[in-house]
Amino acid sequence: MKLERLEMPLDELHDKLARTLTKNSNKRLGLFTSIDGGQLVTLLLDPKDGTAELLISPLELERNKYRSLTPHLAQFHWFERALFDFFGIVPDGHPRFKHLLLHEEYEADFFPLRKIALPENFENVLPRRYEFLEVKGEGVYELPVGPIHAGVIEPGHFRFSCFGETIVNLEIRLGWVHRGVEKRLTEVPWQKAHFVAEAAASDTACANAFAHAIAIESILGVTVSERAQYLRSIALELERLAMHIIDVGGIGTDIGLLGISSAMGRLRGKALGLADLISGSRFLRGFISPGGVRPVSERNLSEIKAGVISLRKDLAPVIQILSENQMATERMKDIGKLSRSLAHEFGMVGILARACGIEYDSRLSFKQGKFPELAPSIVTELGGDILARTRVRIGEIATTLDTIEKLVDGCPHGEEKMVLPEKLPANATGLGIVEAFRGELIHLIFTDEAGNISRYSIKDPSFQNWTAISIAIRENLIADFPLCNKSMALSYSGNDL
Amino acid sequence: MLKLISYLLQQGIATNKNICPDLADGVRGLPMITDVPCSTGCTACVDVCPTDAISVFKIEESGHIKLDLGLCISCGYCVDACPTGTIANNPSTRVAVSRREDLVLTTSSQPSENQKLAASALVAAPDSLEKAHWFKRSVAARVVSTGCSACDMELGAAGNPIFDMERFGVHIVASPRFADALIVTGPISKGMQEALKSCYGAMASPRIVIALGTCAISGGVHRGGYASANGIEDLLPVNVYIPGCPPHPWSIIHGILVAMGKERLAPRPVARLDTVRIEK
Ligand code: SF4
Ligand code: SF4
Repeated sequence: MKLERLEMPLDELHDKLARTLTKNSNKRLGLFTSIDGGQLVTLLLDPKDGTAELLISPLELERNKYRSLTPHLAQFHWFERALFDFFGIVPDGHPRFKHLLLHEEYEADFFPLRKIALPENFENVLPRRYEFLEVKGEGVYELPVGPIHAGVIEPGHFRFSCFGETIVNLEIRLGWVHRGVEKRLTEVPWQKAHFVAEAAASDTACANAFAHAIAIESILGVTVSERAQYLRSIALELERLAMHIIDVGGIGTDIGLLGISSAMGRLRGKALGLADLISGSRFLRGFISPGGVRPVSERNLSEIKAGVISLRKDLAPVIQILSENQMATERMKDIGKLSRSLAHEFGMVGILARACGIEYDSRLSFKQGKFPELAPSIVTELGGDILARTRVRIGEIATTLDTIEKLVDGCPHGEEKMVLPEKLPANATGLGIVEAFRGELIHLIFTDEAGNISRYSIKDPSFQNWTAISIAIRENLIADFPLCNKSMALSYSGNDL
Repeated sequence: MLKLISYLLQQGIATNKNICPDLADGVRGLPMITDVPCSTGCTACVDVCPTDAISVFKIEESGHIKLDLGLCISCGYCVDACPTGTIANNPSTRVAVSRREDLVLTTSSQPSENQKLAASALVAAPDSLEKAHWFKRSVAARVVSTGCSACDMELGAAGNPIFDMERFGVHIVASPRFADALIVTGPISKGMQEALKSCYGAMASPRIVIALGTCAISGGVHRGGYASANGIEDLLPVNVYIPGCPPHPWSIIHGILVAMGKERLAPRPVARLDTVRIEK
């Protein structure tokens, strides 16, 4: 998708956003950041007609501040905190202004992505020390969990304030796996950047490589072959399939139906085998790159189709047993509820948004491989609870299986990879939007005068969605947290970058 | 519940009896160096490698390469680029080693060259593997994840019915207090360094450390950035290295078997991965 940069002074930006991001509006906030610290960048998406707008608002250098957008538009709350972490730009009046990703280990005035000098009178208003929100009152206690979790998962810190067994407040502190991915993406030659983009979150490796490739290709103004588009979409769906299977299995683990989780673990192995067939890698690493994909033989494609057909058969009884299990249903019903209005207000995406009735699946809106043409119809539920999220996931397993079959059938012969120019054009902007298995994933790239990547911004679906757990788990029992967390299946590394 | 049990009984045993088999055809493993000489002046592999894992040097006019599996993210690009077949895909899943320098492969005919090249990467292992016999029957492992989650998922997969690592006496435990082994994934950037050290500190001796995945070994694609995501090297002593990005579940099991002193169950294919000398 080619993007025009639109200059928009700060005061106008406030008005424009207030007008655009209303309750009933179709538009949504894609991303909010800066290029080098001298401006604010706002990406607005219109899923209805599949367009995007990029607003660039210069900042007055000596001020280094702007009026925070969060008080009126809640979905800015983490974006603004990240903006300070990376650029030292202060959102004046942010109701919960704290660091988001950089911890105490970093020096006070260290802003890794800032390229222009800090103003002379810059006063760092935010100490590195992190203070959690304190809930006071008789009988209220705090329960800290993490960063290292009991199971084999990524690190994060959860601070529960509880009253008896009820959770009064949950504050989530992330950033433990902040590796400097966005900066690294501007340091490596762009031809090798796709490896780094994949490692942003390797459970989403394919979607990340896909979004990266679309963004680079939009900068270059090229379109890859039909075959490559089909193969990319097949790969994306295989990733979704494998992850949805294991995420449904994870629900089994946390409810105590270990038979379900072991059966799903085994079936995920089959899905990973299909990923192996298309790409030589269980995680589809290195398959998609700008210009196309790795070659795939016809034999492997037909094996994938056969695999999909047998997986559909194998999955059915396990999913049926889970769906019919009364205990499982009761454990999930009305627990961890997220309301549609809050999900909308916070710009949430993916399964957890679709589970409270928000009809947004970027496969149906933005060009990505063979989508929207061959995109499956959207799966939604209204409950907003764990049960609804699990049902959406189960529904998507089915649509994904069908989609892969359709794509394999339609996949034409032809070139898999095209030769790209050596250099990227100067002062260009590239945008890639892909529906990863967790939801809308965005890669936004800026090049400088020399045609080098000067800013690379990634918006993982989890970035907007983490807040959903804090909202959904309030007034729930602490014992329900693991299951609720599992039903949202959020990414730490994709968020922390 | 009865339905579930009868379903599981119908499915039979999924577990693979063959321990650490080779990868299927077409599946990408780590690269290996064969005994086919390198063509002089060629830098095709160096040019494509995303992590600078390969370097070229010369001995008496003939070209040689050094390939550090501890930096390799198994992208396979060098295998595709190599015109002579000097670098090839290694289908073996038995790739774990207990010395960092053993991850460095070269075509050099001079062993001294090997040692010199590897010296910089050498890590002393105080709680040496001598003690591994403590864990020969079973090992309780605590996992600290600091990476992109793929390594963790493959470790999780190693516990599923297909690979079933519990049959080798490997248990994943929830506290460092009763763990014998610390398995570390990810490049351990600034945010996790303190947490990792305190986890190690909470473990009773004898204890062993396993670096799982290229990130944990060297930082992989993140190496050298501002977040100090350079792997475990300067943080903890390591007993076993499992290269790969992410390593295959069988490679993970192999690594744990090596750590337990049970590698006889799945010996390394010596001729394949160790330095291969060039016949002149
Ligand atoms: S397979 Fe490893 S050594 Fe070869 S190019 Fe890729 S990262 Fe470099
Ligand atoms: S080694 Fe690869 S798979 Fe493992 S944490 Fe690092 S990037 Fe992820």
